[in-house]
Amino acid sequence: MIENSTKIILGKERFKSSVDVDTFVNIPVEQTTKLLNEYDRSVDIGLESLFDDERQSCTIFRPSTKYTILFENAYTGSTNYPPFRNNLYYTNEILNSINSFPGGNVTAIPPFPPVANVSWDGFPQYFEFDFIRTDNNVIGYTKPPNNHINFRNISANTYNWTHYISYPFENDYNKQLNFYSGNTNISWTWVASTGIPFIISIGSNLNTNIISFLSPLKHGLNVSEFVELFDNLGQPLNYNGNNIFQVTSLGNNGFNSKNYVFNIANVGFLGTTFQTSTLGFFKRIININNIKETRSEYYVRRHKIITEQNCTILTKTGFEQNIFNSRPKYEIYALTPLQQFRSSVKEDSQSYTLSFNCDIDVSKYRDNQKRPLTQLFFTTIWRGYFGWTRNMKQGWEFNIPLAFNNKSQPWWDLLNSLSNTNINQLNYNVGPIGPFYYNDTLASGDTIDGDYCEWNNYDQQERVISKYVHKIRYNGTWFNVTSNFLPTTNQYGYFYFPHSPIQIREFSNYVEEGSSAKVIDIPDWAYFSQLSNSFRWRDIYTYGFIDEEGIGVDYPFLNGKHYPYINTIFRIIPENYNITSQYIKGYQQPNITITTTDPTIDECE
Amino acid sequence: MSVNKFKILQDELDKYVNIPVELQWDFAGKDQAIDDYEKTIIKEVVGNAKDFEIVRFSHETTPQLFTDINYEFYFYNNQLPITSPLVNVANWNTSYLTTGFNVQQIYYYENSFTKSFFKLDFYDTPNETTQKNYFSVIIPTQQGSTQIGILSLFVPPVNIKTPIFKLDFVGDKEGFFFYWLRENDYVNINKFFMSAKFFDARFGTFVRMTNRAQPIILPTKFTFDNSKYFYYEVTLNYTNFTYRINDILSSLKVGTAGQPIKWYEYVNP
Repeated sequence: MIENSTKIILGKERFKSSVDVDTFVNIPVEQTTKLLNEYDRSVDIGLESLFDDERQSCTIFRPSTKYTILFENAYTGSTNYPPFRNNLYYTNEILNSINSFPGGNVTAIPPFPPVANVSWDGFPQYFEFDFIRTDNNVIGYTKPPNNHINFRNISANTYNWTHYISYPFENDYNKQLNFYSGNTNISWTWVASTGIPFIISIGSNLNTNIISFLSPLKHGLNVSEFVELFDNLGQPLNYNGNNIFQVTSLGNNGFNSKNYVFNIANVGFLGTTFQTSTLGFFKRIININNIKETRSEYYVRRHKIITEQNCTILTKTGFEQNIFNSRPKYEIYALTPLQQFRSSVKEDSQSYTLSFNCDIDVSKYRDNQKRPLTQLFFTTIWRGYFGWTRNMKQGWEFNIPLAFNNKSQPWWDLLNSLSNTNINQLNYNVGPIGPFYYNDTLASGDTIDGDYCEWNNYDQQERVISKYVHKIRYNGTWFNVTSNFLPTTNQYGYFYFPHSPIQIREFSNYVEEGSSAKVIDIPDWAYFSQLSNSFRWRDIYTYGFIDEEGIGVDYPFLNGKHYPYINTIFRIIPENYNITSQYIKGYQQPNITITTTDPTIDECE
Repeated sequence: MSVNKFKILQDELDKYVNIPVELQWDFAGKDQAIDDYEKTIIKEVVGNAKDFEIVRFSHETTPQLFTDINYEFYFYNNQLPITSPLVNVANWNTSYLTTGFNVQQIYYYENSFTKSFFKLDFYDTPNETTQKNYFSVIIPTQQGSTQIGILSLFVPPVNIKTPIFKLDFVGDKEGFFFYWLRENDYVNINKFFMSAKFFDARFGTFVRMTNRAQPIILPTKFTFDNSKYFYYEVTLNYTNFTYRINDILSSLKVGTAGQPIKWYEYVNP
């Protein structure tokens, strides 16, 4: 309340000599606004807002990553090709030495000539897998005379691996996939769009109150969602004409089994439709009243390379090393084929920084769902120029575990053309000796396969079901690791994941919905739902915005460019040695009774 | 008062009165256009963000795919006064022993040796009155090839470092890469003039280097055109991010194994 402090009195009453006069109350008319002419503008320029404007409008990226290589040199083999034989990390040197020098090799006595063509056993040295080769001065191998190749230092970082930036640009719904179960001889063969495979682990014939489905891949389902079932041939798995059922629960008491097991209520199903050990496939459906729009799609996304190989700058990361020590060895001269002292390295621990000479302008690209790019991928491809390996194969993470009798999954068999990559394999000869095989480099515009994914139009979300993987194996002609219990066409090898994502934008964790009559600026990637007669989409968060769930990106913006950075662990996984964690914790074979209960704390703790 | 000048007479034809409906259209999107113009003006006033990012340049590849860059630094042996007319090219040689280091200092990497270094400065022009030094490259003495040195009569000869450098992607690579601006919107220079100095940690002094030994410098070994004898020319190639070094006098490419870059200690009279 404003107190009125003005008191009006008669003039002569004010003091003794005062007279009556007119008094006035001045009422100010204050003007706090000013009429602006139409073309006069004044703009406040704030450093912060200007920076943000530039940041939000910029579409150019300079991504970089630190690669930490984790590699276990797992397979010994033998070779009598001199450049390879003379540079092994020997594992059977005494016997090999006796065979090579049966007459003795003491220098005081006239040495006897070694027996030619004796194979020596050992590991290929770490140089053969390192990102940057440093063995440029090894006489008889990288340096004349009688060397394997003429080492060129400019190629030191491309002899073994090549690196690119790629992005997913389209979906392949017809990719043929295959999975072999471990302890049993069960297998599924399907095209990507069919869905996710399952086996009924608790069928209606067991008369329990649930039908339990076990999937070798993470199913991605939630309770109360629906599954559309198909038989092993891809035909609808009907029960009284219906093949859509609601998920009533997840898991089966096994640790992490919620990701691999889903259950439907057994309402008294009769017949053999849901019999135990039935194989099939399912598709996820969110809303049974809107099947067409809420049914998930399944596909293999394809990547397009957008940098040239010579754009790559790969450098050692100062003193950064992984936690595993280097494994060098001093080879005693008497136990080497050349009768020379030398050191060999089985494993090493150097980390590397990968960046690019060229800028990445993402404004001209759309992802595999025709949305602006939110992820770029560091794509690393095995080149193997020295010729130790041959016939690189491709598959997905679910192909890594061993199949029946600890053998490689038949997917990796040399005779299976479905697992061939589209990367050219070239070869060369060393004089009359050869051929030595290696993979060609990729160029901007080349395409390769990527992860196996699920997409739901209603949810507007993509989920990676299984990561894309390459398998490299030795060329038995030059380095024999043949194991007798394995088929000669399907020996063990090393796996690696070629694509490592880096997040450059984030989609919102909510789905926007609106009709074009009421909402402006609906993005062009929005999905039109005929049921609700409106568009559905996820917003793209601005740079620097992190929501309450921690979703968002905030990385340096300077020089008028974005500088996203990520640490990448690059694993070269020996087959039958390291199994990716999800297969240890999650998927169990259907004939194993799972008795392990869930831990009372989550797996992070 | 306006007078109607029209007179309508009856005839057999229908008559019409045309009433103009005036439309004064405004430009569609004028507000947006003004907003855009506003942004343009702000950009003019504030300026665009400059790109200060640098990128690495490696030595140009030879047709045989060799990439090494070769430097040889020659020191004056002081056997003759530099003013002597008998001084010739043979008085300069590639050994730290020449410049006064002893075998112990070099072999045991004493501070006086390891803290010494070669510094290559890159200028925009060889004209010393107007030039600016834009960047420098340090070549440490711990790199380089070796020569035989005698520590004492009681131990076998040892290998000690010499100022002959073969720098490449692998092996000795400190000083192999040049780092310069990735974009040319801030400073648009892709040709530099490289000079060399040797910093001697024993005395805290440095000596300049010339591209020819003083006896063959013209017109005299003390009076000559600095811009020709204190520099090599370096050209950056932004297509494949390489550099090429040319001799200023001959304009020929140098730096390869067969044609190393030679620097000679300049000795004042």
